[in-house]
Amino acid sequence: MDPLIVTQAINVLYAVSTLAVLALGLAVIFGLLGVLNIAHGEFVMIGAYCAYVTQSNGWPYLAAVPFTLAVCGLLGLAVEWAMIQPLYRRPFDTLVATWGLSLLLRKIAEAIFGLGFYSVNIPLPGTVQFFGTEYPVYRLVLIAISVAVVASLVLWYGGSRTGSRIRAMVSNPELAQAQGISVRWLAAGTFIVGTCLAGLGGVMVAPLVPVQPFMGLDYVLRAFFVLIVGGLGSVSGLLSGAVVIGGFDSVISAATNAANGYFAVLVLSILFLWLRPRGIIARG
Amino acid sequence: MRAASLVVLIAVVLPFVLGQFWAYQLGLYALYAAAAVGVGLCWGRAGFLPLGQSLFFGLSAYLSGLAFIAFQGHPVVAVLALPFAALVSALLAYAIGVVVFRRTGESGAYFSMITLALCLLAFQIATSWNSVTGGFNGLKGIPGLPGLDDISDVYYVGAAILLAVLAFAGWVYAAPIGVLWQALAQNERRLQLFGFDTNQIKSLAFGASGLMAGLGGAVYAPQQGIVTPQAVGFGLSADLVIWAAVGGRGNLIGPVVGTMVVGSLTAQLRDTLPFWEVLMAVFFIVIVLMFPKGIAGFAEPLAWLLRSQRDRLVVAAPKSTAARPPARLVLDGVGVHVGEVTILDRLSLDFDAAGIFCVIGPNGAGKTSMFNVVSGELAAGSGTIALGGVNVVGLPPNRVSGLGVARKLQIPSVFPELTIADNLAIALWSGRATKLQLLAPRLRRWTSPMLQELQSRYPFLASGTRKAAELSHGEQQILELAMALLTEPRVLLLDEPCAGLSPEETGAVMEIVRWAAKRLGGAIIIIEHDMSLVKELAEVVYVLHNGTLLARGSVAEIQADPNVRAVYVGGEK
Amino acid sequence: MVTRKQGPTRRTFLGAAAAGAAFGTLPGLIRPAAAADEFKIGLFIALSGPASLFGPTQRACAELAAEEINHAGGILGRQIKLIPTDAGGPPAESTKSAIRLMLEEKVDLFVGSHDSATREALVGTIKGKVPYVYTPVYEGGECSFNTYVTADTPEQQIRPSVAWMMKDKGAKGIYLIGDDYVWPRKCNEHAHKYIADNGGKVVAEEYVPFGAPNKFEEIVTRIKSAKPDAVLITLVGADNVNFNRTFAGFGLDKDIARLSLLLEENTLHGIGADSSKNLYSCMSYYENAPSEAAKKFKADYMAKFGAKAPQLGRIGADCYEGVYCAKALVTKAGGTNAQKCMAASEGISFPTAAGDVTMHGRHVDKTMFLATCKGTEFEIIKTFPNVKSGDECKA
Repeated sequence: MDPLIVTQAINVLYAVSTLAVLALGLAVIFGLLGVLNIAHGEFVMIGAYCAYVTQSNGWPYLAAVPFTLAVCGLLGLAVEWAMIQPLYRRPFDTLVATWGLSLLLRKIAEAIFGLGFYSVNIPLPGTVQFFGTEYPVYRLVLIAISVAVVASLVLWYGGSRTGSRIRAMVSNPELAQAQGISVRWLAAGTFIVGTCLAGLGGVMVAPLVPVQPFMGLDYVLRAFFVLIVGGLGSVSGLLSGAVVIGGFDSVISAATNAANGYFAVLVLSILFLWLRPRGIIARG
Repeated sequence: MRAASLVVLIAVVLPFVLGQFWAYQLGLYALYAAAAVGVGLCWGRAGFLPLGQSLFFGLSAYLSGLAFIAFQGHPVVAVLALPFAALVSALLAYAIGVVVFRRTGESGAYFSMITLALCLLAFQIATSWNSVTGGFNGLKGIPGLPGLDDISDVYYVGAAILLAVLAFAGWVYAAPIGVLWQALAQNERRLQLFGFDTNQIKSLAFGASGLMAGLGGAVYAPQQGIVTPQAVGFGLSADLVIWAAVGGRGNLIGPVVGTMVVGSLTAQLRDTLPFWEVLMAVFFIVIVLMFPKGIAGFAEPLAWLLRSQRDRLVVAAPKSTAARPPARLVLDGVGVHVGEVTILDRLSLDFDAAGIFCVIGPNGAGKTSMFNVVSGELAAGSGTIALGGVNVVGLPPNRVSGLGVARKLQIPSVFPELTIADNLAIALWSGRATKLQLLAPRLRRWTSPMLQELQSRYPFLASGTRKAAELSHGEQQILELAMALLTEPRVLLLDEPCAGLSPEETGAVMEIVRWAAKRLGGAIIIIEHDMSLVKELAEVVYVLHNGTLLARGSVAEIQADPNVRAVYVGGEK
Repeated sequence: MVTRKQGPTRRTFLGAAAAGAAFGTLPGLIRPAAAADEFKIGLFIALSGPASLFGPTQRACAELAAEEINHAGGILGRQIKLIPTDAGGPPAESTKSAIRLMLEEKVDLFVGSHDSATREALVGTIKGKVPYVYTPVYEGGECSFNTYVTADTPEQQIRPSVAWMMKDKGAKGIYLIGDDYVWPRKCNEHAHKYIADNGGKVVAEEYVPFGAPNKFEEIVTRIKSAKPDAVLITLVGADNVNFNRTFAGFGLDKDIARLSLLLEENTLHGIGADSSKNLYSCMSYYENAPSEAAKKFKADYMAKFGAKAPQLGRIGADCYEGVYCAKALVTKAGGTNAQKCMAASEGISFPTAAGDVTMHGRHVDKTMFLATCKGTEFEIIKTFPNVKSGDECKA
């Protein structure tokens, strides 16, 4: 097969799988808690900076994982308690508040690290022969990790029963508390899971992108489009969204140019928001 | 009026107090403030958040800039083009609203995201379409407004536009449409049940906000001489939201205060205070969390002083335009299935055109669902529902209401943050006010003979300035009932009207029901659990079970029916 | 839910009192201090936004120049006062600042290091009332009244470097990739000409949307299959970093050389040592520039700012020459009268961070350095002395 086509095909796979993982944190928080966390991209940024700090201290790259979990977990807990919890019944206010949070987090990153670009060295450098073409090793590993993460989610999630259970408990806290379940901790825990997933996404992509305080904005936008198109509340929704958004962007960019890819993503998202706001896989 | 003249006075005097540069700066920010007022309208009044408002500001700016460049030798023509540029934005906003709200009625978040995505799209188009928009460097060389050369003239133009926008906003906020927007934000479902097309109302709000942003943008182009893609970009959209939030979005001048104070302070202090943006972020979060009314909320004491205490004369309302002759409500084989669950199973009910009827049955029998399917909120999969011979299956709730169906919901459902007077006025407008009349503030003083009778029975209905949320549970029930009655319906659906009421309140409600049956001459259908009430009121009783009709007859017949006994024994209070 | 709020609560009053007190003190904060007989320079640099990573360097270099000049007596006996102002936001904000600086601060001159969109807006606002020195890197063509350009031009960046690429490195097929706005497009116009002059071929020309979240896997794959000898990069900022890392990640850096036209120390730091092989840059200043003047400049800079000195680079060092250009211009013209300055500008000579330059046609001819990347440092491998700007203004 023409190596160009093979490479572009792997590019599409890479785009879709990383998009799925990066949107995961947002999906958890938006789908289960109904909260639009505009600061999602900043948690990705935090993960990337944690990766940088890990590497510059000479620790093995995998040490970034527990480090990021600690930072994003604690931060998520603080944010949930201080900002999200008081605003559960005011959806627009959470949107605006999380946006203020994203501003704040950006500024804090700026204060600590400055505005310059940081580079995180690729932990697995080099390319490998893959289906007749040379492809970067690290990216292939990321594809594998993304697939594994999503697969394990499908198994654990069990379709959407756990999700609806969580959602039901959060929307009917009296009933849940009557059954002895602490809704407070469940909601906080869900939020923390979302922020930690975002942070881990940051650790994954840090070696591949410029690490700087403004990097988060792209991720939150793309993640939103994925969720809008794919639908909330189910893993299959997340996947279909990632396939559509990531796939279209990648294929059109490969076939024509990057501007058309970006336009296509925007227009697609608008069309879905308009015609099929529940997304491809609409779950109640 | 006192408040208005104060504002105009401040506007005229300001440049002399603050100096030339501040005048220039405020002149620019006045244009942004005009757009922010639009955001306040949508978010603070109508309850949905537009995240891409700069789309309309920038679109108008580009159109105005192109017009000024095209008509360079004829500045007067260019000035005439200004309102057209604003109008294009208004129409685009309205069109987007119509198209979007029709589909995504439920969740406001989707609407917000669409506006955001459209704004990003506009930014990309503005940056890429070099030949028309000048690309990233912008549309340059736009000639200024004719005859205005001095720097401080900028201020007066900006202030004039802002005052015009505020006057317009003040008018629509005082008009019925303004009340409807607030009602929409508080209880959209209730508004639909009063016959209002809420999608169109939302679209009107969005269109009005587009007009405001468009007016600001149209003047921005000749004032600045250059329009860059940032004028349609997300940064400006975001700023507009922040300014509206911090200033106080529910308030008329809140967004203006937010823009002027936050916007111009940011511009001034950004260069001198290094951590200004961090401070702003924290400040912003604090405002959202703890002071949702924004800065304008602090000024509320001041507003009290300026409020005029005129007595308002009432105006007689015209007759209702909803269909009037009594009509029989007939359900024939209506089936409703949701997934695998059957909610209504070939339900056939036949109500006379006049009288009081009770519908009873155990929990889950489908009583409320039957009401929902009649009022158009639940889709009937099969069967017909005829009202006076007209099939209402498939009609949206506001159309059904227009045919003379009124409904009182199970849990008292009024507009809690509106005054009692406004709540009742909304009921009066239902079926009586034409679209154009909704722009006339006069309509807020409508009254009808029925309202006056109700007010004499229940004096609290006449305490116009109390908010509905301050009423007790029982009083809210009566208020909602009164509102339903004011529409003078042919068929009145009451869903457990006495739930949660004390014995005195229950007696009062029964009295109204009897009175209403005589006064309106139509059908009153009541879902009730309390058999003593049913005995008192019902002429015919219908028993529902498992989504279908089990029995029908007088109270005595029902109580003797063995089927009914087997399935349901009503409790006596 | 029954709310019993009948009027303003205590909290509202407290908040109102606090707000009132705060606003009362504001005029004191905002009104600028009274000025002595200083020579005020409005310094437009990036204090916010994506370009703000250059802000500290821009400010520091300008301060160094001002201090040196003030020690030597200032400009026509007046001590320089720099007024750093943000130009990193939308152009409308910058024009507003310009008006404030002209009306309230009564600045004598502007020095600007920012993008062209802001420059064009500022030119339209300043209207030549005050001299305006534009310093970074740009696409050429600025000849507005009372405007003086010390910025690197496409001719200076591209002609010597492309020639070198094609002759010394033997590159024949060149792939052009840039952000979609005026600077890259103008540069590529020049590139077409020089590539043709040197007997080469433009393999393809591609642009990515400016300000969009771009990723480059697909583009890099396309470049790979087009098999050029070299890539001429006019991407900026994060796009530049992202592209180069992806390029190297796919292993293309082994066979294909890259020449990036806006590659300075910060961007190189972002690109990282693992992605900077076979990567070249061509500008008029680098921290490691080999000239005597550059070494002295660096020493003076480090002496003044110490260990915490902001990273030196072309964007930043340009402010140093901007202030010196102002001094030379005003000194020769005997003041800031516009006509006199315009006439005086021809032939003035002043120091830059890399050495002295002379102004012709309100642009400067410069010595350009071609650098290769060693890890995250530049190593100058070729010096092109006195390259003409190619953008001399006629009048």
